[in-house]
Amino acid sequence: MRSLSKSRPPMRLEFIALLGAFALFLSTVEYLIPKPVPFMRIGLANLPIMIGLGLLNPAEFIVLVCLKILGQALISGTLFSYVVLFSFGGTVSSALVMYLLYNLGSRWVSMVGISIAGAMASNIVQLVLSRYLLFGESAWLIAPPFLIMGLATSIILGIFTQQFMKRSVWYRQKASL
Amino acid sequence: MKRTLVGDLAILLLSLAVIVGSFGSYGDIKGKPEVHVRVGNQAFVYDLSVDTLAVFSGPIGETSIEIVGGKVHVHDSDCRNKVCISAGWISRPGQWIVCLPNNVFIMIEGRLTTDEGGVDEIAF
Amino acid sequence: MSISRANLRLSIGLLMLPAILLQNNLVGVALQASYIIILALAYGRRFKLLPNLIILLSVSAAHLLQPNGLRLFSIGTFPITAGALALGARKALVLIGLLYLSQYMVTGRPTFPGKLGKIISLQFYYFERITTEWKNIQKKPIIGALDTLLFTLERIDTTGDRSTLSQTKPADRRDWMIGGWHVGVLWGLYFLGSFGVLPVLA
Repeated sequence: MRSLSKSRPPMRLEFIALLGAFALFLSTVEYLIPKPVPFMRIGLANLPIMIGLGLLNPAEFIVLVCLKILGQALISGTLFSYVVLFSFGGTVSSALVMYLLYNLGSRWVSMVGISIAGAMASNIVQLVLSRYLLFGESAWLIAPPFLIMGLATSIILGIFTQQFMKRSVWYRQKASL
Repeated sequence: MKRTLVGDLAILLLSLAVIVGSFGSYGDIKGKPEVHVRVGNQAFVYDLSVDTLAVFSGPIGETSIEIVGGKVHVHDSDCRNKVCISAGWISRPGQWIVCLPNNVFIMIEGRLTTDEGGVDEIAF
Repeated sequence: MSISRANLRLSIGLLMLPAILLQNNLVGVALQASYIIILALAYGRRFKLLPNLIILLSVSAAHLLQPNGLRLFSIGTFPITAGALALGARKALVLIGLLYLSQYMVTGRPTFPGKLGKIISLQFYYFERITTEWKNIQKKPIIGALDTLLFTLERIDTTGDRSTLSQTKPADRRDWMIGGWHVGVLWGLYFLGSFGVLPVLA
């Protein structure tokens, strides 16, 4: 870890914190959007993570993922309950899948595909967690609606991210650095 | 543009396959076998797939059943002849064990057969 | 030993946590959860009935699919069993208790040590700025609005005075005694539950 950070340029703490704050802001926006189903989520806070794919080096990306989890947990006050395990499992698995897809298959997938894959990974991990922590075997009963909603919202978020990367002056300026 | 569409479609199809597969859970839960226990006029129900130890008190003492790995047997009973204990393990719907002295009746049912009223006809 | 109020609250919470997690008695966990909710309310957190009701109902309903114990009644051929209800309710109450305990623990905005602590406080600083800046930005083309927001944030000078929101005031003897009392109540309820003093439902 130490040798890794030495060979690279110094970590851009301010920049990562900015993206982390952006994620926090988006999750409060999401909180304000009324949802028909209690367990439904849109995953707006994943936008900064997806933006970070193209702008951050691996170490910085890991820090951003940590900031998203910790920041959300601190704001909602769930840091020391096992709700944070859902957040942790979901975010880490989706970040990992999205990172691998972006870096190994970016010629073959757009942000839409990356968004779908990330959401599926996150939702499957969360279902497995809810099987062991909350619902028992009947967790699998909520699997179909949960996965379908995740697929739908991730497609929308993926299209939005794709548009953002194409149109945002800020993003293009950062990406060209 | 075309090329990224290929990957996106592949991911979308894979996700849809996972979702279709997840519907399989509905079938599993409906047909799950249950252990029905009748003690006097009280009815108890247990999931055969969940390991449990349950104790019931009848007219002459306590009778305990144990569910392990999808099978159930009478673990201990305060009756004299212990016929129920020597009956051993049962695991398939329709199989039953009875402890007459203590008035405990144990039967395995698939949930779908419950409305045929199997328990009541045999027990009474 | 000098420790800030916020971090004392955090440590108190950590000591209370296992008392809920280990609780096997439904009445015990219900009392523990109620105590913690009152505690969180006392420290300015809000209590909303509906989300908690949803947790309680959905977790209990999920456990009904695994029948366990005395059949109370049936809906069609579907048995409603006392043991399944009790297990579901206990798990839901543990979750609710932990949620409010967690909220109580971070009410003072505790500080984290080292580099991580620094970057988290930086993140929260930016977050406060976003919420104020966002009000002044025209939202119509949403991508343009986000662009404006991100450019504005970058221009902020973070080297200057960054007022920490943490309650850095050191804890006094009274804080320690109150904290000790809370820990005592939670563990007391745990022991009452595990030694069979509290009634066992189902």
